[in-house]
Amino acid sequence: MLSRVADSLYWMSRYLERAEHTARLIDVDLQLRLDQSLEAGAGRWLRLLQASQVPPPEDGKIDAESLTNVLTLDRTNPSSILSCVAAARENLRQVREQCSTEMWEQLNRLYLQVNSTTASEAWLLHTHVFFRAVQEGAHLFQGVTDSTMSHGEGWQYIQLGRFVERTDELARLIGTHFGRLPHPLDQAVESEEYLEWVGLLKSCAAFEAYCKTYTAEIRPMRVAEFLLLNPEFPHSVRFSVDRVQAALVAIGELTERKAEQPVRLAGRLCATLSFSQIEEIMASGANGYVDSVRWQCAQAHTAIQQVYFDYSVESALVS
Amino acid sequence: MIYSVRHTTTFRYEPAVRESLMEVRLQPRSDGDQRCLSFTLDVDPAANIMQYRDFTGNTVHHFDIAGTHKLVKVTARSSVEVQFVSAPRAADSGDWADLDALVAGNDYWEMLLPSHFAQFNPPLQQLARELGCERRGNPLGLLMEVNEAIYKLFAYVPNSTKVDSPIEDALRSRQGVCQDFAHIMIALVRGLQIPCRYVSGYMFHREKIEGGEIENDRSLEGASHAWVEALVPRLGWVAFDPTNNLVGGDRHIRVAIGRDYADVPPTRGVYKGEAQSELSVAVTVSPADSVAPEPVMPSFVVRSRPVLVRTVVRSDQEQQQQQ
Amino acid sequence: MNPPEPLTLFRPPFRNYQFDAAYDEMFSAPGTPRAHYQALFQNLLELPPEELRKSQQAADLSFLHQGITFTVYGNDEGTERVFPNDLLPRIIPHQEWRKIENGLTQRIAALNLFLEDIYHHGRILADGIVPRELVYSCRHFRREMRGLTVPRGIYVSICGTDLVRLPDGSFAVLEDNLRVPSGVSYMLANRKVLKKVFPTLFRDYGVSPVDHYAQALLATLRALAPASSSARHEPKVVLLTPGVFNSAYFEHTFLAQQMGIELVEGRDLLVHDNVVYMRTTAGLRRVDVIYRRVDDDFLDPLCFRQDSSLGVPGLFNAYRAGNVVLANAIGTGVADDKALYAYVPAIIRYYLDEDPILANVQTYLLTDRSQRSYVLEHLDELVVKAVGESGGYGMLIGPHSTEVEREEFRRRIEAEPRNYIAQPTLSLSRAPCFLDGEVQARHVDLRPYILYGENVTLVPGGLTRVALRRGSLVVNSSQGGGSKDTWVLRA
Repeated sequence: MLSRVADSLYWMSRYLERAEHTARLIDVDLQLRLDQSLEAGAGRWLRLLQASQVPPPEDGKIDAESLTNVLTLDRTNPSSILSCVAAARENLRQVREQCSTEMWEQLNRLYLQVNSTTASEAWLLHTHVFFRAVQEGAHLFQGVTDSTMSHGEGWQYIQLGRFVERTDELARLIGTHFGRLPHPLDQAVESEEYLEWVGLLKSCAAFEAYCKTYTAEIRPMRVAEFLLLNPEFPHSVRFSVDRVQAALVAIGELTERKAEQPVRLAGRLCATLSFSQIEEIMASGANGYVDSVRWQCAQAHTAIQQVYFDYSVESALVS
Repeated sequence: MIYSVRHTTTFRYEPAVRESLMEVRLQPRSDGDQRCLSFTLDVDPAANIMQYRDFTGNTVHHFDIAGTHKLVKVTARSSVEVQFVSAPRAADSGDWADLDALVAGNDYWEMLLPSHFAQFNPPLQQLARELGCERRGNPLGLLMEVNEAIYKLFAYVPNSTKVDSPIEDALRSRQGVCQDFAHIMIALVRGLQIPCRYVSGYMFHREKIEGGEIENDRSLEGASHAWVEALVPRLGWVAFDPTNNLVGGDRHIRVAIGRDYADVPPTRGVYKGEAQSELSVAVTVSPADSVAPEPVMPSFVVRSRPVLVRTVVRSDQEQQQQQ
Repeated sequence: MNPPEPLTLFRPPFRNYQFDAAYDEMFSAPGTPRAHYQALFQNLLELPPEELRKSQQAADLSFLHQGITFTVYGNDEGTERVFPNDLLPRIIPHQEWRKIENGLTQRIAALNLFLEDIYHHGRILADGIVPRELVYSCRHFRREMRGLTVPRGIYVSICGTDLVRLPDGSFAVLEDNLRVPSGVSYMLANRKVLKKVFPTLFRDYGVSPVDHYAQALLATLRALAPASSSARHEPKVVLLTPGVFNSAYFEHTFLAQQMGIELVEGRDLLVHDNVVYMRTTAGLRRVDVIYRRVDDDFLDPLCFRQDSSLGVPGLFNAYRAGNVVLANAIGTGVADDKALYAYVPAIIRYYLDEDPILANVQTYLLTDRSQRSYVLEHLDELVVKAVGESGGYGMLIGPHSTEVEREEFRRRIEAEPRNYIAQPTLSLSRAPCFLDGEVQARHVDLRPYILYGENVTLVPGGLTRVALRRGSLVVNSSQGGGSKDTWVLRA
């Protein structure tokens, strides 16, 4: 497979995952807001901006309406939903012949839908409609991809992009929540705290799955364990890293580069996660732990770029 | 006369670049009154050097450097034998009718049609009128007149123009370098329907004799040089050097011939990366029996602003004609 | 069979079908269809127009969904447009096709011999058949190709020649497209749609298939592979596209997909030690044959335009060294120069010692003083074309021009006579089209595609381009043209 094509598929997938993630964060936030006072909501806005890597406004004033706009339809903000969907589409457009017609049509439809939403339809942004549509559009694209594209090398880069992005987002989101350490960790949280923790779970589409595993009693320690270490839940760090590794192993075999750096790095990260105990993690600080996961993830990303997409000609000629 | 030539070209890049490809025309020709006795080319960093002959028979060497590098140094060493030929005399040459017959019976069109740098445009037509450049007398006499006229009319000012400057710049300011004078002469001479071609090479500069003969040499020592060859009936291609007001002689070493500079740049290259580049050139020409002089300081240095090389431009894609 | 009643002429959907001096593809006389159009004619009379309209909608939708679009230059967003397709097939009897096939085979053979000659010995120039000046002053003449040997001596292996049918019913060549002819994907897409719309009619007509074009193209490209490659492996063939913003990008992806070869951009390729590689996730892979859809000028910034961002530096040196093959070869544009076109009949006689099977259209060379003054006096009757342009750009259609436009062209011609030629305004033949719910006559041309590898292959058919605007003579997609399927009958 051409390096340029692999690179485009990988980035397409990352951007789309990012758009979906942002849409879910805002969607969840809108729901919580209904049950909260204005002051309680303000703190979450800051965390939302932080999680989306958008600098908070200089004057410190949080204006829900304009912030929603920045995160959704602002073309000048590269992390806005519109920017991400547009970037995903542009990447797929560059390699359109590599994907199925259905994939292209689905992503194009999503783009047209997001792009045609105007600020004058701001009401959309204050209801679920818009954000649900983005999430559903992204889910549909994933489903279409899985059922209409050969699960060959190209598909693996799409998997890789999605889960590299998801790992990073999850880790970042968890980090922002455990930044202000709750006390005590292993007890059910009080009512004012309750909404925040449910918010975190819902932001990871994890509330229902959490309840099935631990019942509806919310303990920060359990939330952390579930989101970091659960091997079965698709929006946990552990699950995402496993997928990254699986994709890299598959690519390594398809390209006959089994022993290369990216495969090793992902393997190490997987091993770390599967042997970690939540008590140890919490004892030494959840923040430090997620930072280390993010750093290793970034290293794997760099290695993927260097080995598959943008390797030096010199090194390729030697091998 | 046998000459030793050393021609060093150094490119420096900051920051480093990669995937450089370069073509050089540095090997003196073996034709006419000249033989290239030996030639070596060294490239640093090391690269495989390949070669071919272009459509006018010049030898072109080319190579690529895949890895990152901050410097490319190309050193060409040659020894060349040049026969002395006495100055051409009008009595030995043919007249206009002979010229037209020669042109009609052979394929000289390449050296008659306008080319990239030698366009017969309005400023040049103006100059042609000013010099009274029209067929009269005999071809050789007129060519010598034009050669001298350019020499007198234009001041030789190093670095007054760039390698890609159109001749309008020199025409406007009445100053330039050897390349401009050669292009102006080519355009004027082709305007007379005389085939004329561009020659790039070197010139051996005699030491100045104090109070002795008048020294014409204006061209810069330590650099490559350019002049022209025009087709003179019965004599064949005759060299004219409007920079130094010389005709024929044994002090010129021919490296490449073409329609104009665009056909025969000494070096031409592309690389990947966004870098500031600096080119410096040093040339020494010495009689073979003397001790080769130490490398001199670069005769000129060209600095270029950073250019983003090889980013795909949308307008280029659109421009591709699909029939 | 009795000739249909003249009344049928006025029956829907033919109520507004008009005739003029042009040859009509369907009718030999008003109301009398030609034998090979009889069945289609009957079908159209019987089919309720509503059915046809529905079919047209289905066809349009199918084109949209397949992404069969072309790009219109100039505007920014939404630059992709569906190439309009007309539902009614253009039918060509077997015998007529045979003549076209022979004529085009003869023409591509002669033009290839011409290219080999001018890039080597130049016999035809020395013999004074074609003026040297014309060749050397052509923008597409590539001195770099002198003395370079190309595989099998084939310069043009993919060609799309524009034919027109004159009022007397004969076909003539309007233009040779020898550089990067496009449109073949529309030919294939049209066929796919028409088979769905008229399955019975299609079967009953006995139409020659075109679906093997991609396979034939691949075989042609493989036939050109350098000798060095066969020893190593099956030759690696790629298609080089300028990229997604190019007007024909859809076609590039389509052909690459159909042939099962890699679609590459310049930035995917690199040259090291005169060998071309492509960058893959598994490392560098050697490339043997490049079907390039990039102009000569942009192919190699080391050799040609240094500002090209699309090319591959060093590609030409690898080509010269015989390590990679380009199709078409570099420098073929000199043979489809519109001024050189006037000499093609002489070229055919010179190399093949045969008379041309397909005629040329009369062409005035504006470098010739007397022809030029004739043209300048008759600008309102003639068509003036820029020699280096295609796609219907840079053209003056005398009868449809304004005084201002004619003055503009007069100035341009006087300034650069070599850049223009003139031809009589041709009355292209007209074929039935389904427009606005009824059948109307529109001007058409025909572009068959010729492949030249081990031997010459023509898929029977081609792209029939239609000037969809009433009265228009311009069939180019960029100028409001569309296309229709072309049925060459098996017998």
